[in-house]
Formats: sequence, structure tokens, C-alpha cells
Amino acid sequence: MRSSISIFWRRKDSYYKVLLTRCKRCGRASFFARDVCPYCGSSDVSIVKSSGRGRVVSYTVSYFRTDSNEEYLPLVIALVRLDEGVYVTGELRDVEPAEVREGMEVEAVLRRYSSDDPYGLIYYGLKFIPVIKRC
Amino acid sequence: MKLGMDAGIVGWGVYIPRKRIKVKEIAELWGFDTGLVSSLRIEEKSVADIDEDSVTMGWYAAKVAIDRGEVNPNEIGAIFFGTESKPYAVKPSATIVGDALGISRRKLSSDLEFACRAGGEGLRISVSLISSKAVKYSLAIGSDTAQANPGDVLELTASSGAAAFLIGPEREAIAVFEGAVTYVTDTPDFWRRDCSRYPSHGEIFTGEPAYFDHIVNSVNILLTDLGLKESDFKYAIFHQPNGKFPLQVGKLLGFPKEKVLPGLVTPMIGNTYNASALIGFARVLEQARAGDRILLVTFGSGAGSDAFSIVVKEGVEQVASRGPTVNELLERKVYVSYSSYAKSRRLIERSIGW
Ligand SMILES: [Zn+2]
Repeated sequence: MRSSISIFWRRKDSYYKVLLTRCKRCGRASFFARDVCPYCGSSDVSIVKSSGRGRVVSYTVSYFRTDSNEEYLPLVIALVRLDEGVYVTGELRDVEPAEVREGMEVEAVLRRYSSDDPYGLIYYGLKFIPVIKRC
Repeated sequence: MKLGMDAGIVGWGVYIPRKRIKVKEIAELWGFDTGLVSSLRIEEKSVADIDEDSVTMGWYAAKVAIDRGEVNPNEIGAIFFGTESKPYAVKPSATIVGDALGISRRKLSSDLEFACRAGGEGLRISVSLISSKAVKYSLAIGSDTAQANPGDVLELTASSGAAAFLIGPEREAIAVFEGAVTYVTDTPDFWRRDCSRYPSHGEIFTGEPAYFDHIVNSVNILLTDLGLKESDFKYAIFHQPNGKFPLQVGKLLGFPKEKVLPGLVTPMIGNTYNASALIGFARVLEQARAGDRILLVTFGSGAGSDAFSIVVKEGVEQVASRGPTVNELLERKVYVSYSSYAKSRRLIERSIGW
């Protein structure tokens, strides 16, 4: 399955970093980076980078096969509450599905998402892993 | 040559993938003599997962180096990515890592290739850039998912890992570079041709004329240039193609086992190529005290060796505590079977679209 090089390039920053929208009017933070606060509608916002650390709130294990994802299966998809209080979903790696626990501390790391094999572009982005060290 | 002591290590980071395979399992599968396995002194090797590569591992090591240094990534003016397993033959790994870490767009940035010593050369170039005040900080990364033809003796050792060092001005550093020597020649010990998946090696050239000759020369020149002797060093780290060579070359140069063992990580994770000596060096920094003098010696086939003399300063323990230590990464592990390893390292591949 071929991905769009231009869409990936435009969104590169949000694949490479956990970017949050912080509202200067109501003070709340939200995922993802955008121009308007989803809570109060204010456009007085700033984009901030999350530490990428948080805890698993819930998760699901997916065996759904597409044309080119077989090598990654099964996928653990986690709902994570970031330290900034914002909820995001992401793939959880470096843990067996049976070992995932709610409350587990996780951190965002750069991994391969997919690639246009054999000679196309490699798409990198963030996934979660159990924290290696709480610093 | 003697350096001005004006450049040093501001931060460092290591990454070791969590999967491990027992070398004994590989040896049994391919019918190696178990005597050969024990002579290599490698118990197990680290295996990068299917969604990991030199870029992702180098990213993690560099992120930890920046966190440890508490440096604004926008002030980093150079990235050197030393690898012999870059994901693209053409398209720099350094720019992917740079953008993903928010490093300044105004930067020097290159992938360096010199078998296992490109990461060391990145370190040497970084020190020069800081000494000449060309940039404020420079990042030197060594990262590899070393490939080996299944059944080749290299498969018993070739593994995956990364290390990164953030080099900056002496006043911010926890260790300074006192001297450095690079010694290179044209030697046919190991190569990989264009478009070839796996490397080849000129068997008889591997030890004596390559590893031992280049390391002995770079170290001896360094000691002469600096007017130092073995007893002036608390630790010595040599490139680690297996668990045996570093101890042997140490002995040749007069460094006892006790000075080499703290930085010897290959027995636990295999040969991480460009990260090999650098991970050992990081492990030593994490137990060093102010005033300790460290000898760091890289080696890369083809062939060359860099020898560095580094003096540790106050504050090293505090900086070490800001990130995962090598020992913590060594303990984070899960054993996998040969079949799982074969899938992770793409020794078996699905044909897509059939
Ligand atoms: Zn708001």
C-alpha cells in the first residue's frame, strides 16, 4: 500500500513530536496542534511540545489485517493520558499484549510506521513503549 | 595530538533494543563448533525489532543525550550519524533525526561511513568544531542494525544498538577531550559491495593486520603525544567485535583486565558496530568520578582506529542520573527464538501484492 509522500511531509511535525494546543483564554491543553481551542473556540492558542510521557488508561488488541501490516500484528492500541493531562491514542510496542496494564507508564519513541517497499519512502512516527526510566 | 581541553561531553545517551537471542541457539542451528562460540565470549546479542532501524535507535540515544545535557536542540549546529546500516543508501539519516528532535535547521549534517568507526570519526569532527567555535554544540551518533549473512560466523556477533554524544564547550562539560589520534590505512579485512545485502570478510586480515595493528598504533601515538603511560588511565575501552579481542589488545598495550572489563558490553549484547566502543564508553562514564582519565579507542574495518584521552570533571554523576543508564538498558530484555529474530531482522520477508 503506497502512502502519500506530500501528506506525510506536510504532517511530519505531528508524526515526529507530540504537539498540543494550549489555550491562552481557558488555559486547557488539547491534542493535536490546531488554530482554535476545541473547548472555548478561542484562536489565542500556542502550540507546545509534550514530554511524550503518560499512563495507559485503556487499550485494545487488534488482529485486523490489511494489505501490508501483517508483520506488525497483533497491534496494541492504547489510550494514554499524557502528563499534561491530555488523552491521545497510539500504538504500544515493546510489550506483549498479555503484559499491558492500565496505569502502565509509557513514553513516546520514534519508530517505523510503514514503508513503500521495496524502494519507496520509509515513514517514521511516534509510538509508545513502557518507560525505560522514569526521570 | 594534544587538544586544547576546550571541548567536552555535555550529554550522552544509549539505546539497546529489548530483544535478545542466545548465541548458542544461532550456533546450533548453523552447525558451528561450540568451542568457537565460547572462544568469542559472547553469550547473547541484541535484536532490533521489525519497526526499529539505525534512525529510530539513533533518535533515542540522541534524545537522551540532549535531555542529559539540558540543552535547547535549536542550539545544536551539527549532527554526524555514523552507521554502516543506514536505512537509505541515499537520503541522510541525520536530517530525519535532526527534524524529529527539533534541532536547528542551520546545521551541518551528514551520515558518515567507515565500517564500525564512523561514529568515532563523528566524535573527532565534533571536538574540532567546538574547539574552533564553529558551532555551539555538535551531536555525534553511532547506530547500527548490523547485518550478517545467515550462517556466516558474523551472525554470531552482529547486533543492534546506538550511542550518542553531545559535544560542547568545556565549561558545560562533565568530561573533556585531552588528546586524539586517528590512524588509517587501506586494509582488506571487511567490506560490503554496493547493492549487496550482507558483508564479506577477508578472514585472515580480521585480527592481526586490521584490529590489532590499527589500535596498537593509534594508542601508542596518543600516549607518546601526550607523554602518558598505561598507569595514567583508570579505564580503557576498545572497539568490541567480540568479547575476546578487547582484552587481548588491552594486554598487548599493558592495560590489565580490570581497566577493560567495566566498558566491555559485547558479551551481553553482541557487536553493535558503530555503537560498540561508544556504549562501553557511556557505561564507564556512568561509574566514573571526577579526575578519572579514560582511554577510548574505536576501530573500523577498511581500516582505521581513533584513540581519545578523556578526563572526567565534577558533576558527572548528576548528569548520568538524568537518563537511562547502560546497565538499566542491559537489564531491559526479553529472549526471542531464531524464527522471531529472523522476522525482526527481515531474514524472512513476505512478498507484498501477490
Ligand atoms: Zn480555550
